[in-house]
Amino acid sequence: MLDLHGYGPRLLEGSLLTLELALLSLLLAVLLGLLSASAKLSSSRILRGIAHVYTLVIRGVPDLVLMLLLFYGGQIGINMATDWIYSEFDVDIFININAFVAGVVTIGIIFGAYMSETFRGAFLAVDEGLLEAGRAYGMRPWAVFRHIRFPLMMRHALPGLGNNWMVLLKTTALVSIIGLSDMVKVAAEATKATHEPFLFMIPVALGYLLIASVSEWCFMKLRQRFDIGFSSGGSSWNN
Amino acid sequence: MADTSIPLEINHLHKSFNGNPVLNGLSLKAQKGDVITLIGASGSGKSTFLRCMNLLEMPDQGELIVHGEAIGFKVDRKGQRQPEDWKQVERIRARLSMVFQNFNLWPHMTLIENVMAAPVHVLKMPKAQAREKGMALLKRVGLSERASYFPTQMSGGQQQRGAIARALAMDPEVMLFDEPTSALDPELVGDVLHVMHELADEGRTMIVVTHEMDFARDVSNHVMFLHQGLIEEQGAPGDILTSPRSERLQQFLAPRY
Amino acid sequence: MEQLSTLWQPVLSWMNGNDIFTPNTFEMYWSGLVNTVHLVFVSLVIGLIIAVPLAIARGSSNLWIRKPVWFFTYLFRGTPLLIQLYLAYYGFAFIPGIQDTWLWFFLEDPIYPALLAFTLNTAAYTTEIFHGAIQSTPRGEIEAARAYGMNRFTMLRRIVLPSAFRRALPAYGNEVIFMLHASAIAFVVSITDLTGAAYYIYARFYAPFAAFLFVAVLYMALSFSIQGLFKYLEKRLLGHLKPQS
Ligand SMILES: Nc1ncnc2c1ncn2[C@@H]1O[C@H](COP(=O)(O)OP(=O)(O)O)[C@@H](O)[C@H]1O
Ligand SMILES: [Mg+2]
Repeated sequence: MLDLHGYGPRLLEGSLLTLELALLSLLLAVLLGLLSASAKLSSSRILRGIAHVYTLVIRGVPDLVLMLLLFYGGQIGINMATDWIYSEFDVDIFININAFVAGVVTIGIIFGAYMSETFRGAFLAVDEGLLEAGRAYGMRPWAVFRHIRFPLMMRHALPGLGNNWMVLLKTTALVSIIGLSDMVKVAAEATKATHEPFLFMIPVALGYLLIASVSEWCFMKLRQRFDIGFSSGGSSWNN
Repeated sequence: MADTSIPLEINHLHKSFNGNPVLNGLSLKAQKGDVITLIGASGSGKSTFLRCMNLLEMPDQGELIVHGEAIGFKVDRKGQRQPEDWKQVERIRARLSMVFQNFNLWPHMTLIENVMAAPVHVLKMPKAQAREKGMALLKRVGLSERASYFPTQMSGGQQQRGAIARALAMDPEVMLFDEPTSALDPELVGDVLHVMHELADEGRTMIVVTHEMDFARDVSNHVMFLHQGLIEEQGAPGDILTSPRSERLQQFLAPRY
Repeated sequence: MEQLSTLWQPVLSWMNGNDIFTPNTFEMYWSGLVNTVHLVFVSLVIGLIIAVPLAIARGSSNLWIRKPVWFFTYLFRGTPLLIQLYLAYYGFAFIPGIQDTWLWFFLEDPIYPALLAFTLNTAAYTTEIFHGAIQSTPRGEIEAARAYGMNRFTMLRRIVLPSAFRRALPAYGNEVIFMLHASAIAFVVSITDLTGAAYYIYARFYAPFAAFLFVAVLYMALSFSIQGLFKYLEKRLLGHLKPQS
């Protein structure tokens, strides 16, 4: 057994935090991506403008700078907002930005911008006639989305979604810089204490590779799932 | 008092796209059991008229009355006409089923799932009941053994008969067909027309856009000839198809006879 | 001259009136910018030089050449750059006795481990970009070269690589911007790059918006300039691929 100088359990906890953070960020990113893709395709010029500025800004600024801005600036911004609400409406609100929330929100916002391009293309790839058929039988907008648009769109979105997830996973390492004890942070602390960088960094690197491999398998299964009905071979999902 | 025995009544419908008028005041009254065919040259507005009936297109002016229930409209801030109540529209759409030229079966669902989807998600019918009903309808259109096939695994004719079963699953009061056989290979047209003929014999109310003159003559009891968004001539098929009065209808029918 | 100073007057008086945007902090931002550009430029250039032979080797028919290169890119693209940076930084610094050797002259300055990590990282991504571009060489180009009796090396040098470089240009442009953004982590090993400068100013004045928003805008300006440059290069070099109008 590897002797990790007693850091084993903390590394394991760190890896769980990494996973938790990555999955929550993914959820937020998918929601933001769907929203801003819809905004980009909407008829409102204001919504389109907002969505385009959003992706433009995210593409131009490093992930880490956004994270620092949100983590250190977010609390001050929120305090100013709640002070204003207090002075205007006499309602007292406390919101604390901790590192975990800042991490999830930043990564979610960043990858939401990347997802919006993926989803925009996928939305456009769905034949309008199929949605119309749903509406023609009286389906509500939500039912049309849930039963027709979403499953058909996912077929086109999954490859891009998979790529984004792989990048997102590695991006979570940045939260160690704002003080969250993810597996990178634990490894860095252990390294500083024991002067044995390889002993800690290499298992963490392997951890990322392992999560990536498992995700790859999941995405393959998902692709098969959303490919149902399109071909017996299962290779036509990118047309 | 509104007459609730009339499944569908349309008065003075107007519609334009970006300022180009496409429908210029069309009226139609479908009594129970009527089979009305809409004929006319391509671009004369047949599809738009049909799509206005279940509000896939929003008419600019005119009245739409389904079983005595008039659809309420309001004008939004941009001057566009919108339904007053989308719930009413959804309710009414559920009573008028449409069959499309390109079938538009949902490719990620099996045939039986296609047929069950609207009853389950719109009418909130229990799944088992919807399946049972769907299987019966597939049997009617001759597709029992295809129930678990996906649309891509079926021929165009089978897909269109499946789409008819999907429309029937809603127990529609009026069925709208937009050129249901135009996308089919000639040898597959017969099966679909046969199913439609049976539906007509059953006493279903149908409005059919078609280029099949035999169907118009033999099956429908009323023919409307559209030209540039207006009804140029209408009447019983025996009259207007054999002795058209307007020159345009004569021209339209000429090459075929 | 007169006019110029009257124009500057409000700016100067504003600068005198606040603590944050002083000539001092501007000097800090400037050296941060220099460090960032230096880091990114050097690692991109060396990474590019390494990536070309690696990309050719990556497509070799010999398993013993192809697989190690694949493994290298797999490792460096599959793990966070931050871990690679830590490994380069601590990996050398904690070798017992190293502080007494001449190597310490380099290793004492964190910029060298950072350059090592960044270079290998961009080399891995660039290898895959070029590999993809080489693989997608149109068959016709290769057959035409064969027909002229070119040997493999000449064919690679004269036909395959030039056309692959052109096709790789858009993806490589993204990689350059990616490296610029990724370099922001350099400040964790106490390099005062742009982000490091902003962090220092944040910590000193407790002014997160003035510090981080300001560098965000700088990074954005840099990113869009790079993007513009690559768009221009694409137009110049890829013009022949567009349909003629
Ligand atoms: N969504 C639309 N936007 C703009 N013009 C349309 C639209 N739909 C139909 N049109 C126009 O309306 C006219 C009638 O079309 P349509 O109802 O499809 O005719 P038909 O079905 O008789 O061939 C055509 O000139 C067509 O170009
Ligand atoms: Mg039509």
